[in-house]
This record gives sequence, structure tokens and C-alpha cells, in this order.
Amino acid sequence: MRSGFVKRHSAVLIVYIILAVLILTTSLLSDVFLSFRNFENLLRQAAPLGFVSIGQTFSILSAGIDLSIGSVVSMASVLTTGLIEGQENLVFPVLVLVIGLALLIGFINGTIISRTGVHPLIVTLGMMSVVQGGILLYTKAPTGSVPIMFDYLAWGNVLLKNVRIPFPFLLFAFVAAIAIVFLKLTAFGRYVYATGGNEEVARLSGIKTSRVKVIVYMICSFSASLTGIMLASRMGMGDPLVGERYMLDSIVPVLIGGTRLTGGVGGVGGTLGGIFIFIILSNALNMLDVTAYWQWIAEGLVVIVSVSLYFKQKR
Amino acid sequence: MGENIVEMQGISKSFPGVLALDRVDFNASEGKVHAIVGENGAGKSTLMKILAGAYRPDNGKILLKGKEYSFHSPREAQKHGISIIYQEFNLIPDLTVSENIFLGREPLKRMGFIDRPNLIKRAQSLLEDLGVEINLELRVADLGVAQQQMVEIAKALSLNADIIMMDEPSAVVSGKELESLFRIIRTLKENGKTIIYISHRIDEIFEIADRATVLKDGKLVDTVSTSDTDKATIVRMMVGRNLSEAFPGRRKGTGKKEVLSLKNVTRHRILKNVSFEVYSGEILGIAGLVGAGRTEVARAIFGADPLDSGEITLNGKKIKKGSPKNSIKSGIGFVTENRAFDGLVHSLSVRKNLTLSILDRVKKWFIVNDRHEKEIGRKCAEQFNIITPSIEQEVRYLSGGNQQKVILGKWININPSILVLDEPTRGIDVGAKGEMYTLMRGLADGGTAIIMISSELHEIIGMSDRILVMHDGEIMGEISPDEATEEGVLMMATGQERGNTKAEE
Repeated sequence: MRSGFVKRHSAVLIVYIILAVLILTTSLLSDVFLSFRNFENLLRQAAPLGFVSIGQTFSILSAGIDLSIGSVVSMASVLTTGLIEGQENLVFPVLVLVIGLALLIGFINGTIISRTGVHPLIVTLGMMSVVQGGILLYTKAPTGSVPIMFDYLAWGNVLLKNVRIPFPFLLFAFVAAIAIVFLKLTAFGRYVYATGGNEEVARLSGIKTSRVKVIVYMICSFSASLTGIMLASRMGMGDPLVGERYMLDSIVPVLIGGTRLTGGVGGVGGTLGGIFIFIILSNALNMLDVTAYWQWIAEGLVVIVSVSLYFKQKR
Repeated sequence: MGENIVEMQGISKSFPGVLALDRVDFNASEGKVHAIVGENGAGKSTLMKILAGAYRPDNGKILLKGKEYSFHSPREAQKHGISIIYQEFNLIPDLTVSENIFLGREPLKRMGFIDRPNLIKRAQSLLEDLGVEINLELRVADLGVAQQQMVEIAKALSLNADIIMMDEPSAVVSGKELESLFRIIRTLKENGKTIIYISHRIDEIFEIADRATVLKDGKLVDTVSTSDTDKATIVRMMVGRNLSEAFPGRRKGTGKKEVLSLKNVTRHRILKNVSFEVYSGEILGIAGLVGAGRTEVARAIFGADPLDSGEITLNGKKIKKGSPKNSIKSGIGFVTENRAFDGLVHSLSVRKNLTLSILDRVKKWFIVNDRHEKEIGRKCAEQFNIITPSIEQEVRYLSGGNQQKVILGKWININPSILVLDEPTRGIDVGAKGEMYTLMRGLADGGTAIIMISSELHEIIGMSDRILVMHDGEIMGEISPDEATEEGVLMMATGQERGNTKAEE
């Protein structure tokens, strides 16, 4: 029974073992790493990457992928600052508009994917280009501004028994918890796994797989809009290219976290581990004064090594 | 008698939950055609895959010309002159005939360029040896199945194979094409090649084979010379039991409550005016050859494919727009033919597969009721005797028979008034088959209407209360199982005879 448990959760266990080893080695190599300030900083950084990676987990679980996620991040960031322009009374309506627009993009992605059967890679790649083009028509340079209250989103803190917890981390934890509940406990979550595991079986079991996919891509875009809004708050200004790196960065933690690109296997639990491996790795390399290019190399190697580990044990 | 070119001694092989081969001996001598016969699941293919290096035996020895070998891969077996032609061909559809024959072994010019003239010349001479005419420049995708089979044989010869195994070659070709296959086999034999011919069709064996090895339930029954025996003896060895014993008997009640009726159901080029009724408590067998449209009828009933015309009535109500979701709601279950592809979500656990089609009932608001679900899972596993360490086990670790029980359990959970089973016993071992039959009859006795599609004639005749025979998208007629013979069903299934159909009644 116990060995069954280990076997069933082995992918997630591996992620957290890697994470533990990473934390251990980094704290041995640098004494700043375990400092309160650095930790606070890490938790603050986790949110933007965290949202998109959680969203991406849904699409990959359903045997798809969302490459438009990065351009939706940029769009959300640029529109938020560009439309608010420092006016406090516009904050709420603009956020509703931005999130609504993101949901619409996800809806279109999901509808095209499920109606035509074209591979999600192609549909969302096209959508990425469409959205990115639209943003660059709107502005070519960082633009807009946000009122002071908006800073709270990225820079605020919540005091819990005299411990300062960054607000973005709380928001991230909240979103992660909802995502886990959604995937593991609801019928919809089960449908995502079934659709990704074997779409035809799912359909013949009475599951409306097209609807499942539409919702999955809406979740993806929604998560991207959260990241975009968070980045707008962090920088106080919307950047039309800020989301570019998230197209690939959102996928990396999902794969490190043991979710299979072929769908149906994995989950947000693993992705959370992946997110922290990703940001701690770059944090550690930063503190050790390793240049960004070496960081890229290191991150690439982590992806290849961890994913090949999963494949090996699958056999 | 010639020298034994191959000797397999005491070969055993087990898969999770099944002992596929139990200490089987097999010999083949040079320049002869050896048949391996047995029912589905008897272990024929497993034995051949071991010889071909695709599986490794748990026990036993393989001797080639008296020397012991153990093959770790098909490639190693090929190097020693052993080739196998599977039912699913290993050809690349987009490459030409000659490119396929020499795939991976292309004659090269300097600098690594392919020497095309040489390639074609060598392919040409191979096909000439076989006495076959195929345009070498055609893509394999443009060839018929029979020609593709020839290409496979040519490929085997190009590997200098001394031993060529053919796994159920007659499953894909018939009639004239089969005759030319036999002609080629005779040519190969004259050239001193050893042919191992796997089949469960007795007639062919007597036409082409010198010796026949009969397997049953993974055990060797006997090896006989075809000239010293007759068909009836081989059949008796294959079946090894009285047919009626295996089946749980016929329907007891006689009530005739119509549950489902199809009227002129048509799909372009696939189904032609299919009409029939199904009554509660009966098992309706649908027989026919592969491609006759049986699966398509099942999919139409289940709403998995749209219809061009015709109507389906369920419990007196016309179904307007069929979809799997609506079918499940109204109590139609569908156990699909291809377990590996569309039966189960292999990455999900036994429990989650069992409740996949009834999650609506197991959830409260949006949340799946874990305890309720586990209870259903446990009850199901017990009721159907599903052998698994835990209901949390992913179904891909289960044996074929147990996977089949999970599928059945999943559909019985919807409390079906109609259950459509497409090839319910394909590829499962004999013990599991018996359990499956008992289960089906039990369900029917409980009032469920069962539609059973099967390619195994004795199963159709043994299990059904009524038999429909399909050919080329049409219902050829209805036979009562008491009057049915395997030959009679086959005559209809091959389109040579028509029974009394609905229209003529």
C-alpha cells in the first residue's frame, strides 16, 4: 500500500527532493540566501511566474499547450497601465475589462482548437502573433502609469503574527490552492485529466471534451492576465514586451514538476515545486554572480535532466 | 525429415495476470511450411514474437541449427536470418516500394548519397524471384493491402531471411490475393526457406502447411503432420472442450419488450438502411467480417457518429440528436472494440475510470464525493472480481482481462437498459472469457438488452438469442442460434447468401 503511494506520487516526490537539494546546496554556498530579506524577495518573485505556470499546467494536462500566454501577459500589463493612467477610479473597471479580454482570447483559442482539431501549438502560436501585433499597434514603448494604491498588489505586505508576508505571495498561494482544489476535487478537474489522458474515451464517457478545452484555455489566459496585472503593479508601467519570456518560462516549471507533455499525468502540486526550483536556481546563480547567459544554460539543463528522469522511470 | 533449423524448448512467458506460454516446445525444419494454430489468446503470437526477438522468454531455450541463442532485439534475430511479418505492416506509407524494402540498408554511392539505380535493380530482382509485379516507384500508401504484404515479404528476403514468420496473413487478404500469397509461399519453400504460418483458419492450414502445431491456453497440445490428420481432429485439439459447456445457456424468459429500434439508418458508404429491433433481456449477436459496419452500427446507436438519414427509437421515443452524453443519460452503454485505444484512460486509476461516466451522480455541487466514489469503486471491484492491488492503481498496470472488467464495470454503473459490447472477449484469456459470458447473461437475465458484436463465430452462436449478420454495411439477415452453423453465418457474412431480412418478413 505504501509503496503504491510512493509509486503514484513519485514524480512530485522527485521534484521536491530536487528542490530540497537545491535549497540545501545554495544555503551552504551563500549565507545571504537564507536571510529574511532574500526569502521575502523570492516569495514576491514567485507570483508572476506562478500564475502563468499554473495556467499552463491546465493546458498541458489536457494534452495541449498555450503559447499565446506570453502575449496575453504583455497585453494585460500594457492595457492596465495605459488605460488607468494614474486614475484611481478607473482601476476596477479597467481590471474587469483586461480580465474579460483575456478570457475572450482564451475562449477563441479553445473554440478553434476543439472545433477544428488543429494542434493547440499552431492555434496558440497564431494567437500569440495576433495579440502581440495588436499590442505593438497600441504602443511600441512602455506606457501609462498606475495610482499609488495599485502598488499594493506587487509591493504590499500582510502582517501575520508579526511576520511580514508579501501580498503577491498570498495571492499566489490562494490561486494555487484554488487550482489544486479545482483539479483534484471537482468533476471538471477529472474531466481535464480524462480529456488529456484519452480524449476519445472521455468523449465516449459522456464528457463534453470541447467544453473542457474551451474552459482550459480560458483558465490559461486568465492566469496570464493576472501575471500581466501583477507586473504592471510591480513596474508601475506597462511594457509591450514584458510577457515575451513567459511563453517558454511558463512551460518550464510544469515540465520540471513532472506533468507530461502528452497530457493526463501531473498536476499543480508538481508545478509549484517546479516554480520554486526555477526561481531559486536563478536567485542562487545571481547571488553567486553568475552571468545571465550561464543561468540560461543551467535552466536548460535542469529541464532536460528532470524530464529525462521522469521518462526513465516510466519504463 | 529434414534437419531442425529451429528448436524452441520449454518456452514459458508470463505477462501481468496471464501465463501466456507454459513450457511450449516447437520445432521447424528447413524448407517446410509449419503452421501454428490455436484460438485467439492461445499464445501463437507470443511464441513467434519470442522467436523474433521482440519478447524475451522467462524460461526455455532457442536453438538455431543446433546452437543456442538468446535474442535481445528483433534486429539480432534478423541478423540470424529470422524475419516476421506482422498483421500491422512495418512500412513507411510515404516512401516508395523500393525504398521501403531497403529501408536502413540503402545501397550508397560515395559521400553517402543513395544509389537509386542500384536500389531499384535489387528491389526488382527480389520481386521477380517472388513472381510479383509491383511498380517499384509507387508509394506504399497507394498500394492495396495484398501488395503491401508482398513488399513485406520482399523486405524479409532482402534481409537474407531463412525463416519467415507470418502472423495471421489471411486476416488482411482473401480470395485471389490469398491464392497468390500461397503461390509465393510455395516458391519460397522450393528455395529452401522455412515458413512459419500463424492462423486460426483450419482450411488454410491444410492447403499450405506440412506440419501444424496446436496451442491452447498457452500450452502445447500437439504437433502433427497435416497429411496424417484431418480438420475435425485439429478443431478438437484447438477447442479442447465441448462448446456448450463454455457458455452459460440461453435466455430463460420470453417477454418481448422493445427497447431500441433502428429504421433505415444510413451513413454514406458505411451503413445502408440498417433496420432492426432489440428487446429487453436478450442478447442480440451481430456477426460479420471486419469492415462490415458492425462497429459503425454500435457507434450510431451510441450517438458517437452523426447519421445521414434514418431514425433510432429508444423506449418508444425518437432520439433527435444523439451524443454520447445523452445516450449515457438515457441508459445506453458502449464497450468499445479497441481496448488499448478507446476503452480506458490508462493514466487514471481503476476507481476514476469506473466513475468516469457517472461523475454527475457522484459529485455534490462541483466537488466529487471521494467517499461515495471509493465505495462505488470497491463494490465494483468486488462484484466483477477485478484483480488489482488497490482501486487506486492506474489501469495500465492491469492485465487485459481485468481491464476489460473495469470497462464493463464502468458501463454497468450507468444502469444501462441497453449495453452494446464490441468484441467483448478479444484478446483476453479463456478464464476471463468464461467470466465475461456469465456476466453478460446475468445482465440480460436482469432485463438489460445486450448487443454483442463478435468475430468469433462459436461465441456468436453460443451466446446469442438472435443473430444478425452484416456484410458491407447492410444487414444480410437474421438467424436463430439453434439453426445457425458457422458455415451458414459465414456465407452471409461474405455476402454470398442472404437470409430473411426485416423487409421480406
